[in-house]
Amino acid sequence: MLTPPPEENTAIPPSSDPNNGSPSFNLVSTYKNILSTDLLITKPIAAIESLISLLSASPPSTISETLSLLESATSELKDSVPNSIALSAGTDLFQRYLISTLQQGSAQSAKSKGKRSSSGGDGDFRAIRAHLLANGRLFAQRANESRGQIAKVARKFVRDGCTVLTCGRSRVVAAVLGAAAEDGAKFRVVYAQDSNDGLSKNSADIVTELWRKDIPVATITFAALAASLPYVTFALVGAESVVENGGIVSGMGTNQMGLLAKSVGKPFYVVAESHKFVRVHPLSGDDLPLGQKVLDFSTQSREEEKEHEEGKRKAGDEVVDFTPPNLITAIVTESGVQTPSAVSEELIKIWF
Amino acid sequence: MPSSAGVLTPALTTFSRSVRNRGTPIESSIENLISLLKRRQIRDSKPCAMATAYLLRRVVETFKIADVSGLIERVQQVGERLLAAQPRELAIGNIVRRVLGVIREEAEEDRDGETSGYSDADTDSRPHSAGENGSRLPEAPGAVSRALLSSPLRRGASDQPSLEPHEDGAFQRLPVLTAHASYASTNTGPVVTSMFSLLSHPRSNVALPTATPGSQSAESHPPLSNTALANLTAAKDLRAEIVEGIQEILEELNQADDQIAGYCLEHIHSNEVILTHTSSITVQKFLLKAAAKRKFTVIHAETFPNHHESTHATVIGKAKGESDDELRPESFQKSLTAAGITVILIPDSAVFALMSRVNKVILDTHIVLANGGLVAAAGAKVVAKAASMHRTPVIVLSGVYKLSPVYPFDIDSLMENGDPAGVIGYGDGDMVNKVEFENPLFDHIPPELVDLYITNLGGHAPTYLYRIIADHYRAEDTELDKLNAYQ
Amino acid sequence: MAPSESAQDDTMPSEKDRLDKKVTNGEQKVASMAEHIPGTNGTGEAAKGSEQGQKLADVPKEKELSGKEKKELAKAQKIAKRAAEKQKQQGQPAVDLVAGNKGELPKDSGKKGPLGPATPAKTQHKKTGSTSAGAQSSLPHRQALSHAAPAAAEPGKENKNVALFDHLYGHPRRTTVAGAGKDVHPAVLALGIQMRNYIVCGSSARCVAMLLVFKRVIESYTTPPRNSLPRHLTILLSSQIDYLVSCRPISISMGNAIRWLKVEISNVDVSTPESQAKSDLCDLIDTYVREKVTVADQVIANKANDKIEDGDVIMTFAKSSIVQQTLVEAFRRGKRFRVIVVDSRPLLEGKNLARALADLGLEVQYSLTHGISHVIRDTTKVFLGAHAMMSTGLYSRVGTALVAMSAKEANVPVIVCCESVKLTERVALDSFVHNEVAPAEELIIQGKPSSPLSKWVDVPNLQLLNLMYDLTPAEYINMVVTEYGIIPPSSVPVIIRLSTNT
Repeated sequence: MLTPPPEENTAIPPSSDPNNGSPSFNLVSTYKNILSTDLLITKPIAAIESLISLLSASPPSTISETLSLLESATSELKDSVPNSIALSAGTDLFQRYLISTLQQGSAQSAKSKGKRSSSGGDGDFRAIRAHLLANGRLFAQRANESRGQIAKVARKFVRDGCTVLTCGRSRVVAAVLGAAAEDGAKFRVVYAQDSNDGLSKNSADIVTELWRKDIPVATITFAALAASLPYVTFALVGAESVVENGGIVSGMGTNQMGLLAKSVGKPFYVVAESHKFVRVHPLSGDDLPLGQKVLDFSTQSREEEKEHEEGKRKAGDEVVDFTPPNLITAIVTESGVQTPSAVSEELIKIWF
Repeated sequence: MPSSAGVLTPALTTFSRSVRNRGTPIESSIENLISLLKRRQIRDSKPCAMATAYLLRRVVETFKIADVSGLIERVQQVGERLLAAQPRELAIGNIVRRVLGVIREEAEEDRDGETSGYSDADTDSRPHSAGENGSRLPEAPGAVSRALLSSPLRRGASDQPSLEPHEDGAFQRLPVLTAHASYASTNTGPVVTSMFSLLSHPRSNVALPTATPGSQSAESHPPLSNTALANLTAAKDLRAEIVEGIQEILEELNQADDQIAGYCLEHIHSNEVILTHTSSITVQKFLLKAAAKRKFTVIHAETFPNHHESTHATVIGKAKGESDDELRPESFQKSLTAAGITVILIPDSAVFALMSRVNKVILDTHIVLANGGLVAAAGAKVVAKAASMHRTPVIVLSGVYKLSPVYPFDIDSLMENGDPAGVIGYGDGDMVNKVEFENPLFDHIPPELVDLYITNLGGHAPTYLYRIIADHYRAEDTELDKLNAYQ
Repeated sequence: MAPSESAQDDTMPSEKDRLDKKVTNGEQKVASMAEHIPGTNGTGEAAKGSEQGQKLADVPKEKELSGKEKKELAKAQKIAKRAAEKQKQQGQPAVDLVAGNKGELPKDSGKKGPLGPATPAKTQHKKTGSTSAGAQSSLPHRQALSHAAPAAAEPGKENKNVALFDHLYGHPRRTTVAGAGKDVHPAVLALGIQMRNYIVCGSSARCVAMLLVFKRVIESYTTPPRNSLPRHLTILLSSQIDYLVSCRPISISMGNAIRWLKVEISNVDVSTPESQAKSDLCDLIDTYVREKVTVADQVIANKANDKIEDGDVIMTFAKSSIVQQTLVEAFRRGKRFRVIVVDSRPLLEGKNLARALADLGLEVQYSLTHGISHVIRDTTKVFLGAHAMMSTGLYSRVGTALVAMSAKEANVPVIVCCESVKLTERVALDSFVHNEVAPAEELIIQGKPSSPLSKWVDVPNLQLLNLMYDLTPAEYINMVVTEYGIIPPSSVPVIIRLSTNT
C-alpha cells in the first residue's frame, strides 16, 4: 500500500523511449512560456500545467508508460533551470497525486469487488487523466484563489498602527497588504530592496500599489535593515518554496531579514500557498540544489565585475537563499496559520 | 454527573443543579450562565468548561431535533452568546466546538449507516461516504471519489472562494471521533493532505458538508446536509448518542488532572528541584503523585498579589474552604510537605536568583493557544523567561480542554486587568489619585519559552501541539467565535 | 543615633500624622497577633532576645530627645540585662511577637527626619531618615521579627534554613547589644541595631552612617599607653566592625570604605600628635563622604539626565535614592516623561518612591513583579540602582534581574546608576555567591490575622526564603553611570583601579 511501484499494476512492458509519445512537444519551452505569459502563476503551478500539456499532447497510454513519461519529462524540466526546487514542488505534487489516487482507487476497487483487477486501475487512470486534462486551467485558478484566502487570514496580523517589514516581490505579500489596505487598516510598510536608486522593476508593483492605496511605504536598502528593525512591528515575507523542515527558499536577503528579526525578537511571518511545500530537506543554505554562486571571488576590476554580474542576471533566475525554520514564527497557507513544524506532516502525507 | 457533584465551586454547583432540573426553562439556564460568567462568579478554564458542557447537554436534551443542521445552529448560537458574555474564557469556545464535533460526528455516522451503499465495506471509518459522490462521476466512480473524499481537509479551495479561511485549516485531517473524549491520535485512517486539494476534482467539494466552515454552515449548507440529514428517522437515538458524547467530555474534564498526574514519574526524579508558580490543583496533584515515589524539592513562588492567598494556603497544607477560583476535590487534602517534600516558599522576585539551581519549572496554564503559546497567571512570563535564560526546561500542564484552536492574532484581547487594590494594599488610599496602578491577571507566554506540554494524553513538544489541537476540533468550527474572527 | 539621621525635613505634617496613626494600628495588630501565637518560636532565650530588643528599641528615641546617648544606652543595656535575668529565672517564654510589620514598615520610613549637619544632604532610603515617631514605633515590630530567623541554632527543632543558602545564614542576626564587645562605642551599638532593623537601609546610606559613627569613635579615642595610634585604632575599629557585621552583613560599599579608612589610619605618622591625627582622620572622613557620595550623587544625577528625553517612559525597580535623585532632577529641568515603578514583596520600597515622585507631580505608574512583562512594553528606558556593581553583573535588590531580563528581551536599554564606592572587584556568576538572607517572618502578610503563613514554623518541611539581593548578569546592562563617567559593566575594574590609585 505504501509504495508499490506503478509497474505492479500493469503487465505491459515499459516503453523504450518515454518521450516518443510527444515528439513535437517541448516541455521546457512550454514551462517558460507559461511563466512569462501568466504573471500571476507560480513555478509549481506552471510546472503542473506544462506536465498536463505534455499529457494532452501525448496519446493515452498505460499507467506505467505515463508515469515514466512524466518522470523523464520532470527531470528534463529540472535540468533546464538552475534552481529547480520550486518547480519540483509542482511536479512532485502532480506525480504523487496520480500515484496515490491510483493506489487508493485500486485498493478500494479490489476490496469492493472482492477481486484484484488491474483493469480497474486502468479505468481509474483514464478517469484521472480525463479529469486532469479537463481542468488544467482550474488548478492555476485555484492557486490564485488560495492567495486570496491567505490574504484573508494573514491580514489579521496587519493591525492598526503596526509597521510591516517586507522584501522581495511576493504576490502573496502584495495580496495580504492589499487586503489589509482595502479593509482600511492603518499601517505602514518598510520595504527592503537591493539598492536605493529608485525602485527596481520587480519591487515597483508592490510599492506603487500600496502607495495607490494611501499606505505609507519607506523603502530601504538591505544595508539599513538592522537600523530599521526597531521601528518595525513584524516582518512578512513570501517564499518560493517551503521545505520539509519548515524552512523557506526565498529571494536573496530573506534569511538575513529572518536572522535580524530573531535577534531583536520581532515576529517573522511567511505567507505561502501549500503547493509550494516541497520535499527537500537542506542541512543549510548551501545544501540546496540552487545552482547559484553566492560568492564569486575575483581579482578583476570593478567594471569587468559589473559586466560579469549583468551577464549573470540575464541568465535568468533570481538568486535565492534559505531561511531555516527556527527563524520563522508562523507560516500562513490557504489553510490557516501553522507552525513550521506542521509543514512536514503535509509532506509526509503526500509521500506516505 | 453525580461523580462530580460536591466538588465544584458553589456557583458551579448551583448552576449544575439548576440546569439539570427539568423544570428550569432552557432559556433561563442560558441567561443564568451568561450572567454568572459576566459577573465572574464562574471563572477559570475548568469551571467554565464544565458549566458550558452542562448547559449544552441540556440544550441538546431539550432541542427538538428536526434535522441536525438545526441543532448545530442552535449550539452555535448558544456558544456565541456564552463567548460574548466572557470572550476571554476560551475554554467555553473549546467545549462548544467539541460538542459541535460530537454532533457532526454522530450525524455523519448516522448518515453513513443509511446511505453508504457500496462503500460500507470500507475499513476506515472516515465520516464521508463515497457512494453518493462517486455516483456522480461517470468514469471510474470508486477510485476518483475515494481519492477526492479522502481529503476532508479541503475546504473548497476554489469552488467556494467566498468561504472564510480557517486558522488551523492546515491541520484538517479529521479524526475519527469514535470516542468523544480526548484521545491520542493513534487512529490510522488513510493519510490525507490538504496539498492534493489543488488537483482534486472540482465537483467533489460541493458534496462535502465539512467543506463548509464556520457558523454559516447551517444556513448555507450544501445539498447533502439538507437531504441526508433532514430525514433522520432515529433522531432520538441520535440525541442519546450526542448526550452520551457530552457526558464523555464531562468525564474527561473531571479526570484530566489525575490523568496528567499519571505522567509525573517520567518528569520528576529524585533530588530534583522543581519550581512552580500559582497554586494549581493540576500541578499539586502532579507533584503529590510524584512525592509518593520520590524525594525532591519544590520551590513555590507565591504569585503575589492575585494568587498568593491560595498559594500560602496550599503550602501550609490548609485546604481553605471552597474557594471560588479552585475546584477542590475531596481527595486532595494532603499537602506536599506532609508527603515529606521540602517546600520553599519564595516571593516572586527571587525567581531569577534561584533559577540556576532549579531543574525544572512546572507551570499551570489558563489556556493554550494554537501557536503553542499560552495564557497563564500574571508573573508566569518572567518565570518562563528566567528559566529559558538558564536553560531550565519549562513544563506546562494542561488538560486538553484548555487547548484552543484560536490563533492569537490579538494577544491583548485575552489579557485582563485585576483589581488595583491588590497592588496598592490597604492604607495607601492616598496614592490612588496620584499613581496609576497596574494589576494584570494574565501573561502571554510565547511558544519558544515552553519545552514540553503534558496533557491528559501525555507529553507533547510544543511543535506538535498543532496536531493535538487539530485532532480535537473540526476545522469548520474553528471560527465559532465571531468576536475573534474579525478584529 | 544622630549619625544616621539625615538632612532636610520636608515631611508634610499631614503625612506625619497619618504615619503615626498607621504605626499605631500596626502596633495593635502586632499585639493581637501575639495573643494568637503564644510562644510560637519560643525558647526562653529567643524570647529574651525579643524582650531585650524591644527595650533597646525604645532607646534611640529617648536618646534623640535627650541627646545623651551614652548614658541612655547604658541605661537601656542595664534594663535589658535585668529583664533577661528575670526571664531566665522564671523560665517562662515571653510572648512571642512573630508578627513583623511588613506592610507598615515602608510607610513608617516614608518620613524624613531632621538630618544631622554632617551628613550628605539626602535620605538614602527613606528609611534612613526615619526617626522620631515613625522610627520609634516601627522599631519594636522589626525587633519582634528579628529573633525568629535563627531557628537553625535551636536543638530539637527542624532546621528551617534553606539548604541551598546554608552558607549565607551564618550566625543569626544580633538582636540586642547584649554581649557586644566592651570596646564597642555606644554610637556603634545603636547604629548596628538600626541597620539590623532596616532603619538605616540602602547601600550608600549604611556606608555614610558607618563612616560618621566611626568619626565619633575616632573623636572619643585616646591611645592607651605603650601603643601607637595606627596600630591600636585599627584594632579598635575592627571590633566595631565585627559588631556591625553581627547585626547585619555589611554592604560592599561599607567594605570599600573600611578598607580605605584602615589604609588612612595606617598611614598616620606615629610622630603626629594624637589630637592632630584624630582631626586629620575626621577631615578625611568628611571629605570621603562628600566626594564619594554627596557630590558623586549630584554628578551621576546630571550625567544620567543626559539619557532622559521628552516622551520617555522610565521604569525602575524598588527604590534607589540615586535613581530618585536623577528622576527628580530631570523633572526639575522640565523634561516630560513618565515613570513606572515596579515593586516587590516583602519590602515594597518602591511604594515610597512612587509616592514621592507623584507628590512632586510626576506621572507615575506602579506595579509589582507580576506585571513586568506588561509594563515593559511601554517602557523606553530602565534605570536601576545598585547595592554593588561587579564586572560580572549588578548586585541589587532581589527582583532587579527580572526587570533587566525583561528589558533585554524587549530591547529596552538598562542604565545602572551607581557611585564608584559601590564598585567592587569581587565577582559572582549567580545570586548564590554573595547574598543576604533576611528573616523569613518578613514574608508573612500582615493585616489579616488569618494569614495562613503565620504558622509556617509549625509545618514540617516548609521553608520560607527571604533573599535580599540577586545578581543581574552584565549582558542585561547597557551602561553604568558613575561619577567618573558612563561606562560599560566590563569597565568596572578599570574604574576601581583608577579610583583607588588616586
